Amino acid sequence: MSGLLGNPKVLAILIITGIVFLTSLAGGALGNAFGFGFLSTPIASIQIPAEPFLPGELFPGFTLMNTMVTAWLSIIVLAVISYLATRNLSEVPRGMQNLLEVFIEFFLNLAESIAGKERARRFFPLVMTIFLYIMISNWMGILPGYGTIGWIEPAEEVIHHQEELAEDDGGHANLEEINLHVFEGDGGFVYLAPGSLDQQITAEQFEHDQGAGDGKTAGLLIPFLRSANTDVNTTLAIALVAMVMVHFWGFSTLGFLGHIGKFINFKEGPIGFFVGILEAISELARIISFTFRLFGNIFAGEVLLVAMAFLLPLIGIIPFLGLELFVGVIQAFIFAMLTLVFAVMATTSHGGEDHH
Amino acid sequence: MGALGINLVGLITQIVSFVILFAILYKLLYRPILGMLEQRANRIQESLETADRVRQEATSQQEAMQGQIEAARTEGQQLIAQAREVADRFREEELAKARQDIEGERTRATANIQRERDAAIEDLRREFAGMAIMAAERVIERSLDAPTHQDIINRVLEEGNSRAGRN
Repeated sequence: MSGLLGNPKVLAILIITGIVFLTSLAGGALGNAFGFGFLSTPIASIQIPAEPFLPGELFPGFTLMNTMVTAWLSIIVLAVISYLATRNLSEVPRGMQNLLEVFIEFFLNLAESIAGKERARRFFPLVMTIFLYIMISNWMGILPGYGTIGWIEPAEEVIHHQEELAEDDGGHANLEEINLHVFEGDGGFVYLAPGSLDQQITAEQFEHDQGAGDGKTAGLLIPFLRSANTDVNTTLAIALVAMVMVHFWGFSTLGFLGHIGKFINFKEGPIGFFVGILEAISELARIISFTFRLFGNIFAGEVLLVAMAFLLPLIGIIPFLGLELFVGVIQAFIFAMLTLVFAVMATTSHGGEDHH
Repeated sequence: MGALGINLVGLITQIVSFVILFAILYKLLYRPILGMLEQRANRIQESLETADRVRQEATSQQEAMQGQIEAARTEGQQLIAQAREVADRFREEELAKARQDIEGERTRATANIQRERDAAIEDLRREFAGMAIMAAERVIERSLDAPTHQDIINRVLEEGNSRAGRN
């Protein structure tokens, strides 16, 4: 240990790390309580529904959400990667082609070991697409700029929304509990600046002062980009496609009566019938568990990153970035593998004695 | 549902997006790469089969060569054996001939010697007879005629001769 400390390089790294740690501690939310907080940013407003990418509706009846934009970005990234990898296919793979071949071969072998050679070929494209889409979306979600750059939802609208919500519940909005952020300028393109933790006012103050002050705008930051899987619509869409395909394969393999017989079962008496009903319920539960497992993990991850950036602005986020990378690929893998397993179960006929 | 942000438009948009992504990946990624993997697998299979065939050919060729070498060696050995046999026979013949020659030479020599001896003995006898007659003439010159004495002497010599032949 003393030998390590004697090494000037190690010592320098330790000192620098210590300084950065202390700086981030003093500059963060904790330091703010003691009058520092020069790096701290307020926690961006966190809400479960996705926000509109731009104010207003793009077409009548269609609002472009920020999660749609990021979903399309993931799709574009995947398409470009695929195009680049398969543009010059060669027998001896190199670079990108090699990487993707390793990926695809790994998944194909995995699928073959679970589903058998013939069924694996059928299930593979969907399983692989689910994996790639979820993984790339999750990984892109932790890029800088996601959730931190956006436009301002003006204070009046925020207050209006809150009052509407409160009236739905039959109450009255408590203006003191609504936090608004004060931005420089009237910007359509803003971010939460370091050291701006104190520039917050409540709706009460906003109403009282008739505005946030000269050249300043109060409101909430609505990010342009938000990790695609932090929107229940995205995860539900993937889950629905996966389960619809699973049952499509079930019907096409076992025939209509063969597959439906698993859920509406009159042949094996009342117990068999009841088990069939349970099976049908569990199919519905699968959609819900698919949806909320992915949504919950990724949404929680984003919140965790925001919280860490709030507490320790410079370095607090680093280990959690690694964690989110890991969670992102694990969730993608779980989703893909469960789809594969469900597909195998759906294409296996009920009861071993049915097929000889 | 509203609190979770689930709405039909968003859901349909995401489903359509996913289906589009599926189509793109299927066309740009899975079909080419799976095709390439299959092609490579076929290629490797082919290469392995070719290698196997080449190896088998090499083995059979080697076997054929081995056989040829074996045949050549046998032939060589046969030739050597034949040559040795011929040489042996030649030697035997030469030896036999030489022995025969020597035998003939000796027989002839023996015959010569015999003849010489016979001649010598004949000469000696004739001389001895003459000398004996002369001596006898000298002893009993006047009383005895020559032919009678000759006869007596011849008998004596015959006896002596037969004694010498016995010896």
